[in-house]
Amino acid sequence: MTEAVRLDSITKRFPGVVANDDVTLSVERGTVHALLGENGAGKTTLMNVLYGLYEPTAGDVYVDGDGLTYEGGEEPDGDGDSDGLPRIAEAPQRFDSPRDAIDAGVGMIHQHFMLVDPMTVAENITLGNEPRKWGGLAVDREAAREAVLDLSERYGFDVEPDATIEDVGVGVQQRVEILKALYRGAEILVLDEPTAVLTPQEVDDLFEVLDELTDAGKTIIFITHKLGEALEAADEVTVLRDGRNVGSVETVGTTREELAELMVGREVMLETETPPATPGSASLVIDGVTARDDRGVVAVDDVSFAVREGEVFGIAGVDGNGQSELVEVVTGLHRPAAGRVELDGRDVTDASRRERTRAGMAYIPEDRQERGLVMDFDLTENGVLGSQHDAPFAERGRLDWERAEDRAREIVDEYDVRPPDAAADAKSLSGGNQQKFIVGREFARDPSCLVASHPTRGVDIGSTEFIHDRLVDLRDEGRAVLLVSSKLDEVRGLSDRLAVMYRGRVVGVVDPDEVTEEQLGLMMAGERPDPLPRAERVGDAADTDDRKRVRSGVASGEDADAEATDD
Amino acid sequence: MRRRQMTDDDAGAGGPLDDGDAGSSAPSVRDRAFDALDRLVAASATERLLISGSALLLSIAIGFLLILAAGRMTSCGSAAYSLLGVGFCYDPFLVYDSLFLGAFGDFLANPLNGQFATTVSETTVLVFTGIAVAVAFKAGVFNIGGQGQLVFGALASALVVYGVSGAVSGLVGTLVLVSVGLATGAFVGGIWGAIPGALKAYADANEVITTIMLNFVATSFALYLASGPFKDPESFANQTRTLPEFALFPQPLFPGRTDASLLALALAITVAVGIAYLLRGTSFGYDVRTSGIQPEAAEYGGVDAARTVVASMALSGALAGLGGAVYVFTIAGNFQTGVPDYGFDGITVSILAGNNPVAAIAAALLFGVLKSGSIVVDVGTDVPPELVGVLRGLIVLFVAMPEFFRMIGERVDVRDRLGGSRDAVATDGGEEA
Repeated sequence: MTEAVRLDSITKRFPGVVANDDVTLSVERGTVHALLGENGAGKTTLMNVLYGLYEPTAGDVYVDGDGLTYEGGEEPDGDGDSDGLPRIAEAPQRFDSPRDAIDAGVGMIHQHFMLVDPMTVAENITLGNEPRKWGGLAVDREAAREAVLDLSERYGFDVEPDATIEDVGVGVQQRVEILKALYRGAEILVLDEPTAVLTPQEVDDLFEVLDELTDAGKTIIFITHKLGEALEAADEVTVLRDGRNVGSVETVGTTREELAELMVGREVMLETETPPATPGSASLVIDGVTARDDRGVVAVDDVSFAVREGEVFGIAGVDGNGQSELVEVVTGLHRPAAGRVELDGRDVTDASRRERTRAGMAYIPEDRQERGLVMDFDLTENGVLGSQHDAPFAERGRLDWERAEDRAREIVDEYDVRPPDAAADAKSLSGGNQQKFIVGREFARDPSCLVASHPTRGVDIGSTEFIHDRLVDLRDEGRAVLLVSSKLDEVRGLSDRLAVMYRGRVVGVVDPDEVTEEQLGLMMAGERPDPLPRAERVGDAADTDDRKRVRSGVASGEDADAEATDD
Repeated sequence: MRRRQMTDDDAGAGGPLDDGDAGSSAPSVRDRAFDALDRLVAASATERLLISGSALLLSIAIGFLLILAAGRMTSCGSAAYSLLGVGFCYDPFLVYDSLFLGAFGDFLANPLNGQFATTVSETTVLVFTGIAVAVAFKAGVFNIGGQGQLVFGALASALVVYGVSGAVSGLVGTLVLVSVGLATGAFVGGIWGAIPGALKAYADANEVITTIMLNFVATSFALYLASGPFKDPESFANQTRTLPEFALFPQPLFPGRTDASLLALALAITVAVGIAYLLRGTSFGYDVRTSGIQPEAAEYGGVDAARTVVASMALSGALAGLGGAVYVFTIAGNFQTGVPDYGFDGITVSILAGNNPVAAIAAALLFGVLKSGSIVVDVGTDVPPELVGVLRGLIVLFVAMPEFFRMIGERVDVRDRLGGSRDAVATDGGEEA
């Protein structure tokens, strides 16, 4: 075996927390290695150590990125290279910054891309390392273009160097990120949750790309909390739990159940069984809502549906197809260009956030660190957010901090928030615990309607299970739940009816128990699979590179989305 | 990326930890600057006091050398100070002794001496302008317009009280006039503060620009009124008619002085404590702090961002206007043009106090001490007033800079975290830690 990376007894301590505890990890050259674990297990921290973002508290990093470290160099006695392949460096590497890591051949692709939207693919790939001409005075665009074409040909990538980033799809953007790392000479690629923003079809494409890369001798480490993907794409899986390596297994000869148990430390029910809903009358009514995003582009296009009491109405779709804007219109953060929002028979289209909260709407926001919590406030203060003018916390303009602290304690206890300390700053909590606190706070409002946007994004399996159960409980109490998520399993498992959004429109509303994953995948790409009627927009939608044309076509078109406007 | 990771790491520790600098390869200047900011942000209260204390000593040491150097460059009859056989015209020990202790006069023999009176009156006005800036800061608004708000508050209260003073007299008159004057100052200052607030909230106009511009408007318009329509006909100076003595702030102590009132100081301290409570203990204060610290979360939490900006700017202006009224009722006795830069000093006071209203009392005291101390230096030594100004500036600069950079560090920190929050799910250290 030829090691490309060896992390030896890595310990990384943060104040009060051990993120990585004596983790040893070895990755073979030319393989795909999945780093699997719940959120907060220390996966990203470990990879940040490898990428030079963190200095480990203890332990050593060995990287043989270029495979040349000891070639022709002096051989340590005892073990010669019988296989003729270069061996990993004997001296631990010391990365003070990502630059050092990149120099050693480690490239990292973050979940959200770091690309300059108005620049072309070739410009993005060569950014910072542009080929020069005229004695370094000017960028040699032609050479850059050639280099990119060369690279994409060598690894079988299908990218157009002259396309602008904002015009290409997410899958292509991800490939550009990978090419960027390759252009900088990466031999070892670390991908952080690479599938989070992709449709099922794009995920398959990505896995093919990974195959190509390993065939070419590259080494891939990818971080994921999805069991299925780890099993499908990786050759070997290392499971982290509470910062410790709890086992590395070959994917051949292991099962989902086995991995899940390793991850959580106990047996897990992988399927959520939800009893059928008994919906009542319509609680939340969205009627012909059209909204523009900050740039004035139509992000939500004439969407109508109703969420009834006692049902979970799910919205699926790839991120960025108008779900966020729709949720913001519903919750009062964004003013619609047209249309109405009704809550329990009352028109709340122009109502403020505070009025909506008072009218019984709770909201679990998509971005917990930007919106859901004030990061520099402690949990007591955060527990008041949204109710700072209302009973029981406020009386004649004064805040009752004792009551607020009691509330925070209740949430912390009931939702198992760690650390169980109402005086802890929100920023000191892990993402999963932040989310649990938000969920607790919003449920404590005793809402008649809950809008939950990606309620379990980045949350570990245990907490996800818990949050799902609570959502179903709420539904069974006869409340209306609007659930937006890009996790297909989640929306399918929890929803009683499921709408799929694509480019601001509802492609269709389906029964989640009847629809197949393929059909959903097609709908998420804007197509209507055969059993679903009205496929006239397929042609437009397939032209993924020309948003404006599709948008204007849709806007001027007379297609009244009958499916979308049920109820 | 690296920057945010470092911040999460370091800021949580609250101690001197710095992985970056321990490295064998030299970190870039940029990284080092960020590391230094992080360390400042992470400093504990004791550390901050020690930092400010050391800065004070350092500024005195540099000032010491300046005084010696200046003393060599002037000629004088006999050396005031000699060191290693070299004579200097100015004695640095005497200068600093006068600068700090002069502010208290002969405090032990007579606590109510004239020098201490000056210290008290200067401190009082600065407490108001300091908390005025602090309140706006808390809401995330940078109010540079304290001076204009103070000038208008002072002018309005001087005019209104003069107009009313004929109707009342005696102790009741004092009570009525002072109350009316304070209310007028606060009201007019509040309006003058609310204007840039509304411009920011509803027209997206940068408050730094508008408040600076409105300072010029206020100062020039006040000059016009005080030199024209409302000019005291018996005076050559551009000032309004002098208020009768009973219309001024009562000064039960400090016999023979009208310019210092412990009552006014008590009012200032009460207001500062009240503002601290307002920020911490009320729904309005929660709205203000939330919008200052994380506007997106405030929006989510149902805070009306526009209204909060206007309200906090109005409150800020009212406090500055109150300072103006107090200035008229204690120091000036009428409105005269050329009001000292209390509004601008308030910015430094607020920075020095880390935008904490209660700490602003102590910061204002330091300014008050330096101001009245420098008068003693002017009178008691041959050191030119320009050099005294330099010495004062050095002290303020050195003491305020650590806090100033701390605030910058916090802002950079917040912005980075917000800017990076989208990928936080994947890469944020706090997430995984």
